[in-house]
Amino acid sequence: MNRPRRKRHVKRWLLLAAVIAAACIAWIIMWRPALAPQTAIPSFDDTRIARGANVATLGMCASCHTPDLSRPFAGGKPIETPFGTVHSTNITPDAATGIGTWSLDAFTRAMRKGVARDGHLLYPAFPYNHYVRMTQADIDDLYAYLMTRPALDAPARPNDMTFPFGLRPLVAFWNLLYLDDAPWRPDPAQSAEWNRGAYLADAVAHCAACHTPRTLLGGPDIKRQLDGGEAEDWYAPALNARSPSPLPWTRAQLASYLRTGLAPDHAIAAGPMQDVVMLLAQARPDDVDALAAWTHSQLARAPVRETPANTPGPLPAPRADDPELAAMRLGHALYAHSCARCHDAGRAASSGTALPLQQAIALYDPDPRSLLHLIDDGVHPPDGEAGRTMPGFRNILGDEQAVALAAYLRKYGAGQPAWPDLDDTVRKARTP
Amino acid sequence: MTAYRLQVNGKQHAVDTDPDTPLLYVLRNDLALNGAKFGCGLGQCGSCTVLLAGQPAMSCMVPVSVVGARPVRTVESLGDARQQHTIGVLQQAFIDEQAAQCGYCIAGMIMQATALLEREPQPSDARIRAHMAPNLCRCGTHMRILRAVRRAADRLAKDKR
Repeated sequence: MNRPRRKRHVKRWLLLAAVIAAACIAWIIMWRPALAPQTAIPSFDDTRIARGANVATLGMCASCHTPDLSRPFAGGKPIETPFGTVHSTNITPDAATGIGTWSLDAFTRAMRKGVARDGHLLYPAFPYNHYVRMTQADIDDLYAYLMTRPALDAPARPNDMTFPFGLRPLVAFWNLLYLDDAPWRPDPAQSAEWNRGAYLADAVAHCAACHTPRTLLGGPDIKRQLDGGEAEDWYAPALNARSPSPLPWTRAQLASYLRTGLAPDHAIAAGPMQDVVMLLAQARPDDVDALAAWTHSQLARAPVRETPANTPGPLPAPRADDPELAAMRLGHALYAHSCARCHDAGRAASSGTALPLQQAIALYDPDPRSLLHLIDDGVHPPDGEAGRTMPGFRNILGDEQAVALAAYLRKYGAGQPAWPDLDDTVRKARTP
Repeated sequence: MTAYRLQVNGKQHAVDTDPDTPLLYVLRNDLALNGAKFGCGLGQCGSCTVLLAGQPAMSCMVPVSVVGARPVRTVESLGDARQQHTIGVLQQAFIDEQAAQCGYCIAGMIMQATALLEREPQPSDARIRAHMAPNLCRCGTHMRILRAVRRAADRLAKDKR
């Protein structure tokens, strides 16, 4: 009689011990201490600040932390994630609402570990899983730059996370999976410029944050490095052998694209990439050239393909035996009446003409999102910036017309197999 | 030439024209509705803005073939002082703020603003600015135009109360 009861007791104690042990381990994983606030902002010499400005530009800080150009680095931009909406925060040296009380140690810990000065875990919308590989010199310079910006009063906007992601300590488990703190290593077989570009692309400009697909947990899918991801519901093209570009990128085109957003006869930057090129235009030209050298070496792995881009000209009418003849005829008519006026007008590049559509990379993407954004919203240079414009057709084309146009362009412009679920993607893109 | 039936400002019209004819040309040349103006013809200035199914659209970019059954509204639908002896709240606000200089962009501006106020009767100043951004005024009366839209929004809110 006695033995089973004792056994039950033992089991209970073991269970309790296991729960306590698990809680301790979770505590160790999730808890980070607060670091002492600094009471005064140190002074920095100008060369450090200038170098830091270049790091901030290449690190794309402003693309999230400066949604309002009149208030640099004051934050407040909503960033949609599958786990809720995160708002970028104030990284000006304001003591109350910014990072004025953050010592260099606290700043370094945030950059490398994703931990705020007070010990709370930052969401990985902040790409510390890339910044972790920045050199300490770059972090020091960035700190000098940010700490010498005008302090602005801008309290953090509350995030709107879906349950249970509002619990910040859970980010610790994300960090176990995705925060790789191995330092960046140069490849001795490559040139110094290539290595500079590789370092900037990975540790600073965090290209892979958009151009690598993400797992269900929102981490980088490292087996598919640079295989193409997404940004603000645009397809971010693969930057490796899977590059959708129908014509091989030349290095000169890439350098021009990254600095100006415009690669003559090849591509223009649109969507979230506009912010990127706007910032790169302010970075050191040799750094942007290094980025172009590295990116080109990745894109050069893509096989040269036989595509309609090699023979640009007006797109053809659908074949008489096309199984979707009615929709393709509609698409062709829309192309002829709306797109061709600029895209296939046969004018010289200087007179406002646009890329022949066979050469438009969005037609070759594995999904139609970027093309639909271009059709619906067009291309508009950021406020006050010069650049190519394209009017949007959202209010002009009905849903059925947009589907027909995209399907026609895919088939008769790019000669690629139809996108699955095009109807659904159009409807989703147009739901406010 | 193809026959199209268009619903413009509440009236049905039959026109016979090429499918790629811009809606703007049909409005001006076939229907004698000269409010919408030809500015750039490239969808970059907004002087031809009309409402297509309630949404602002630059009519120089709209091939007549895509309109279908969607109703079209032009500035004439808001009120015409000569014919109906009344004008709309927005038109009055533009007069009160003296928002027109040469006036060429104004019909488009008013239709762009109409689209906003019909959906959002009480927009913030920032919202008005963002919404009106596609429409250009080369005389530079943008500040007066923004004030006129503000005035119309405030007037509509007051009338509602």
